[in-house]
Amino acid sequence: MSTREFKDVRALSIASDAQQMIEVARAERVETVWDRLAAQQPQCGFCSLGVSCRNCAMGPCRIDPFGAGPQKGVCGADADVIVARNLGRTIAAGSSAHSDHGRDILEVFAATAHGETNGYRITDEAKLMRLAGELGVATEGRTTTAVAVELADLLMENYGTRRTALSFVERSPKVRQELWDRLGVTPRGIDRESVEMLHRTHMGVDNDYVNILLHGLRTSLADGWGGSMIATELSDILFGTPSPVVSTVNLGTLKPEMVNIALHGHNPMLSDVIVQAAEDPELVALAHELGADGINLVGLCCTGNELLMRRGVPMAGNHLMQELAITTGALEAMVVDYQCIMPSVTDVAKCYHTVVISTSDKAKFPGAVHISFDPGRGIEIGKDIVRRAVEAFPNRNPSRVRIPVEPVQLMAGFSVEAILGALGGTPAPLVEAIADGRIRGAVGVVGCNNPKVTQDYGHVTLTRRLIENDILVLVTGCSAVANGKAGQMMPAAAAMAGPGLRATCEALGIPPVLHMGSCVDNTRILVLAAALANHLGVDISQLPLAGAAPEWYSEKAVAIGTYVVASGITTVLGVEPPIFGSSNVTGLLAGGLDDVVGARFAVEADPERAAVIIRRHLEAKRAALGLTALDPDAIQLPVATA
Amino acid sequence: MKLVFVNPERCIGCLQCEFACAVEHSTSRSGATAWTEKPTPHTRVHVEPGPVMGTAFPSRCRHCDPAPCQQVCPTSAITRDKEQNLVLVDPETCINCAMCAMVCPFDALTFHPVAVGTGERTVAVKCDGCVDRVRRGESPACVEACKVDALVFGELNDLVAQGRLHESGTVLAAVTAAEAGQDAVADGPVAAWRSWGAAASRVESSATTVGGGSR
Repeated sequence: MSTREFKDVRALSIASDAQQMIEVARAERVETVWDRLAAQQPQCGFCSLGVSCRNCAMGPCRIDPFGAGPQKGVCGADADVIVARNLGRTIAAGSSAHSDHGRDILEVFAATAHGETNGYRITDEAKLMRLAGELGVATEGRTTTAVAVELADLLMENYGTRRTALSFVERSPKVRQELWDRLGVTPRGIDRESVEMLHRTHMGVDNDYVNILLHGLRTSLADGWGGSMIATELSDILFGTPSPVVSTVNLGTLKPEMVNIALHGHNPMLSDVIVQAAEDPELVALAHELGADGINLVGLCCTGNELLMRRGVPMAGNHLMQELAITTGALEAMVVDYQCIMPSVTDVAKCYHTVVISTSDKAKFPGAVHISFDPGRGIEIGKDIVRRAVEAFPNRNPSRVRIPVEPVQLMAGFSVEAILGALGGTPAPLVEAIADGRIRGAVGVVGCNNPKVTQDYGHVTLTRRLIENDILVLVTGCSAVANGKAGQMMPAAAAMAGPGLRATCEALGIPPVLHMGSCVDNTRILVLAAALANHLGVDISQLPLAGAAPEWYSEKAVAIGTYVVASGITTVLGVEPPIFGSSNVTGLLAGGLDDVVGARFAVEADPERAAVIIRRHLEAKRAALGLTALDPDAIQLPVATA
Repeated sequence: MKLVFVNPERCIGCLQCEFACAVEHSTSRSGATAWTEKPTPHTRVHVEPGPVMGTAFPSRCRHCDPAPCQQVCPTSAITRDKEQNLVLVDPETCINCAMCAMVCPFDALTFHPVAVGTGERTVAVKCDGCVDRVRRGESPACVEACKVDALVFGELNDLVAQGRLHESGTVLAAVTAAEAGQDAVADGPVAAWRSWGAAASRVESSATTVGGGSR
């Protein structure tokens, strides 16, 4: 056994704040995600290829990809079945995570409608009425409460067994709905599809890899056009629909003289009331009394994105910054809800004065203080949490406070409503710019950080190459934070874009890279794509669009990538998914799927090459639509990297 | 001279060494694509199941000196790298006569086409000690892949001494605990030590009953 060390911090992250804090962590012998990745090398080859199965106790089994050893598991499953089963379960887990997040929001929405919460209200009544109208809930002459109650009931039904199609499926183009019906992948119930996937991948149920993968599409669609979309829409109604807002990003958002509280995780439900609680005069006075200049809230990961989008709360960092935010020595409290919160944060916090406060009964952390979230007492709980953070301030060791950089500005808040608003209420100007070639197409660059990729390098490089070539980039999640830190998300960044995109952005006063929210908010991209397709009377798969997840790591990302492809948008992954042990599954996902849903996956680790793949794809789509198009083969790698 | 030492009692049968070996001896050196290459790369370390379920032994060329395979090879295809003290097969001169396999005390040789040389003709294939990696100062791929120290790389006498140290530590801890009267309970260190010994001997006595019970 030996471990590979990654010595040069420049190989770990392109971000100066991360590089400096990794050096600090090393000097203080604080273990980070990169140390643990090194200790895990080399990682399991069978699992990396997806050919290991531990679904039953006749196993565990693995297929020898080199052909000399077993080619079937004990049950008789070959590499195709095992890879498809594993992928199916991964999609089900990712879809479940998003959808359970959506359910939590839905329950708070319902409770708020019934007047049973404290610290919550229907903030965007117009959106409530619009959504109710869209989904067939009567609004004429009815109170907000009555409409909200009925809408909540309807959406709860979407989680169950009573429907033949999810409500939001209606938002996709008619041709896409017909295609899904023909393939038998129209999502029926949000929970149902994930449960059915677990059933199908039990030993002795679905033994046809194509059939398993088709249900994988349906399971992901139940996320994209179901659980995630409910999370986005109801969060907008409860907490406000985002509109453009300028804020700051990176570890420089932590303030040496203030009580710093990081809000980490994914659900805005509690963090939104913490923002209210942090303004409480009594708590601000207590902070002053204890020697601080005030209370400073910052975001981490997608809870941070939710707060940035709606309230302009500064963003400390993305996934791989969570441990490093603690090593600044300036963080009084890390308040966590769920998803992507490394179990290691409480270990890192032990080396500093930081209090980790867990808030979801679903997500407990040994070593954290657990304050159970209850929407009925939202504001009281929020104040309790803020008070604990303020009280931790005197425990800070000022000689260990190291805030490595100055913050960078970014613009966020581009909901579909905000984008259409900027365009004058209709997608027509964007469609025209794409049609006449000023903008070649639009790409969602989304997804996580993964320590296997130099942090932010994939996001920033790919995005930069795309905007340079007149491609509008839509970002969410960790990608948005990476691009913000790189200075690519202010209107002035239009100067980085090609001439056509630059002119469009300057005319509208928007950046060439639009922050559309958290990772559940990838549904905003679906809604925008559907709006463009419906405006033109074509299918989503005909549009010059693409998706990319250059640094993905999570099961949720697999669900997102799959629903994006199933919705007709070809997607390039920067990290190899564990499917390569089956050439049949790989061939289907990377090729054959194009003939089924009009989109496919590609895998390319080098963002320079990924940019070429995407540009060629967009030009091919443009040509097929009869728009001005470059010869895809004429698009080559920049000379320096070819 | 460093070599790979096997601690068979630590092997959990994960086959990571086999996988890493095949990738290391591929053209692409990529875990994602190595298996698609022609000729298919093959592992040179072989994890064979033990007599009782859950036991396994990663078997590989011991690079004997003198090496019987080298002594009988009619074409002198088998040579010794003096610098690294490794026994190597030259696929270009090998005539696939299998004399080496007949005399190998450990059945370490297999016969496959390999990417170097002709790329088509079947030749003798065995562990090359990851000679390229070792020259670069790295440990062999199988050792790097082994997460449980069933395969370790080092000076033979040092590795054997480490084993002695571990045993003496275990024995002395057991004896000390017994003398201090701390082992009145059945699950104390002495009991654990004895049950370990009993379990070890059970492995021998039930050697013929594959799947005949747990360790």
